Amino acid sequence: MIIRTLPLRHGRLAVPKPITPSTLRTLATALDRPRFQPATASLDANGQSPSGGRTLEIRDPTDPVAQNFVFLQQQKALHKPIGSAVEPHYKPHDLIANPPSPKDITLELLMASQAHIGHATSRWNPSNAKYIFGVRGRDDPIHIISLDVTAAYLRRACKVVKGVTERGGLVLFVGTRGGQERIVVRAARLAGGCHLFSKWTPGSITNGQQILGACRKKVIDHNDIEVLGFGDQLERSAALKPDLVVCLNPLENYILLHECGLHNIPTIGIIDTDANPTWVTYPIPANDDSLRSVQVICGTLGRAGQEGQEIRRKSAAQGMWTSMQEHGLQPPTHGQAQREKEMREQEAMLAQQEYEEDARTVASEELEPVAKEDSLPYERDRPLSSEELAQASESARHLADWETAGVVEP
Amino acid sequence: MEPHLLCTGFRRAVVCNYNPAKRRILFHSRRGYATPTETSSGSQDPVRAAAPIRFSSNANQFAVNRAEFVDDAENSVGSRPGQSSRIPLLERIRILPASPSYFTGTPRFTDDFLALRALERKYQLLPTLPLAEAPRVAWKTLEQYRTELGEPVRLKRYSSLLTLLKKLNSIHPSLFPVEVERALARYKRVVQPHLNQPKPVVVDELGRARAVGRRKACHAEVYLVEGEGQCLINGKTLTEYFGRLHDRESAMWPLKATARLDKYNVWSTVRGGGTTGQAEAITLGLAKALLVHEPALKPALRKAGCVTRDIREKERKKPGRIKARKMPTWVKR
Repeated sequence: MIIRTLPLRHGRLAVPKPITPSTLRTLATALDRPRFQPATASLDANGQSPSGGRTLEIRDPTDPVAQNFVFLQQQKALHKPIGSAVEPHYKPHDLIANPPSPKDITLELLMASQAHIGHATSRWNPSNAKYIFGVRGRDDPIHIISLDVTAAYLRRACKVVKGVTERGGLVLFVGTRGGQERIVVRAARLAGGCHLFSKWTPGSITNGQQILGACRKKVIDHNDIEVLGFGDQLERSAALKPDLVVCLNPLENYILLHECGLHNIPTIGIIDTDANPTWVTYPIPANDDSLRSVQVICGTLGRAGQEGQEIRRKSAAQGMWTSMQEHGLQPPTHGQAQREKEMREQEAMLAQQEYEEDARTVASEELEPVAKEDSLPYERDRPLSSEELAQASESARHLADWETAGVVEP
Repeated sequence: MEPHLLCTGFRRAVVCNYNPAKRRILFHSRRGYATPTETSSGSQDPVRAAAPIRFSSNANQFAVNRAEFVDDAENSVGSRPGQSSRIPLLERIRILPASPSYFTGTPRFTDDFLALRALERKYQLLPTLPLAEAPRVAWKTLEQYRTELGEPVRLKRYSSLLTLLKKLNSIHPSLFPVEVERALARYKRVVQPHLNQPKPVVVDELGRARAVGRRKACHAEVYLVEGEGQCLINGKTLTEYFGRLHDRESAMWPLKATARLDKYNVWSTVRGGGTTGQAEAITLGLAKALLVHEPALKPALRKAGCVTRDIREKERKKPGRIKARKMPTWVKR
């Protein structure tokens, strides 16, 4: 044996070993953390809970399902930073939560959202010839929409929406195909307009008083603050008409567009290669069958409306406004305004009382299980600390705090 | 042609010389065609362009006096930039829909629907119970909901709302969010029939179990005690009360089917209807009373057909018919 190489060969053994993850894991069992609760205890031989959900106590933090959910959330939070970083990619809800603004319109964005895909060439409407870039495919040829035209027309439409909202106009967003509901509602909210995602009731404009006569209206001033005292006059006043209509599927909404035409209401519409561009005032040649393309276009228009509203609000705050609506209202008497104000206050008070009563009953319900079940542990061998119980019930109560897949509307 | 014109010209010139009134008329008619001379325009004001027309928001601008209209327009134009307080309220206000769902025709319903959709999205990752196991809730009927809102809500739209409600209701009770509970409370009926609990029947201190059975128009009250097989119906024995063998058997069927004829005494009062109905009313009452003593007999009694109330009742007679359905005999001519 060569003595002088001994430290080289066996020296490593003498150095203390680094702590392995498995050692850490054994240590981690001692941490105060909710554990997974196998739910077999509450199931009978058929694998069904004997009582069903009917007799379960509400908001019981000691229930195995609640505990497992808390455990799952904690595990998710723990493991979130682990793994590789994912590159930016398409998330469907992103387009609704945060739609692109008019300045973000690029050909890349439009192409990525499939706005250029048209219909089969046999279904084309020749009026769209100037928007069509070419034909793709030999066996099943489809038309490709020219995206530079799309971008230009979309920008023009954005300017129209912005201009209308800037002058205090009412924009109506219509998308009646399946799946268009959320983006329509979102865009209307951004632009401070109205939305429609169910069938357009024919005659809502031409016969408005019959169809929309019972729907409530309000009077607001240039700072968007409601002015009370016009209640009686509002009931008598004519049904409202939109100042601009944005239609995501003109093919299914011919009646709406026709009514708009009769009443000189400008319209913006997504015109696919099979649609008639003369139905709308401001066509946007694009794919109206892809939800993504529709979301990009509608979201952009909504953002344009938002910009217009901001400009209007800013100038109103400085005392300038451009909105001039021929409302035909007469100044209310002091008594009317006072009466309406009192009514509103009473309603608000009642609602508040109801809410508080609700909150009180809910709170009393919630206190019970915590007080009663303070001996039931997360881990069978150890009594549950009051902090953990509080945490569990808190998590059960404030579910809003958890990330529910990031699809919660802002 | 020319001599004729010349003649007329001469004649006019001569007449004008002698008639000053005609001369003036001719002079004035000629003035219309001629360019204005220095002498004629000297007495008038110089020609100026009209004042520019300023249109205002006033719908009656063409009906009111011109002077007022001009003043109004100048006032509003002059004061527009800057001072809002000076502008009358009527020029600053506008009418807007109270709800963004105005053009749906059912704005309150649509707002409700969207609120529930938002809740559903927010809590979509919570564990749920199977729909059959979710707490039973009696939701408002379409008619009640319509009356509450005062809107013509369609059945199809209301069913989609109910689907949402049921989905939210199936969130696991241990994690049921307070927010959802508050939202759902609005759609629940005031009276929840599912919360009614039947009163449990017990054996009293004398060892009797009392139960009531009904069939057709009959009502039987049965007391069952442990004993040796005696039976009294309205104070008579079974054989005295029911002349028909089949009725006797069907009245005592729960005891016979479970081989307990000699283990219980039956005391019963029965009223209404006929013999078959009374016998079968006793059957049901007896079976219920027996279940109080021995709940484990339920499957056997169900198999014997004694547990379920027979809901068939006499069908009413209709006009134009002899009985409920029988038609009068029809003879051709």
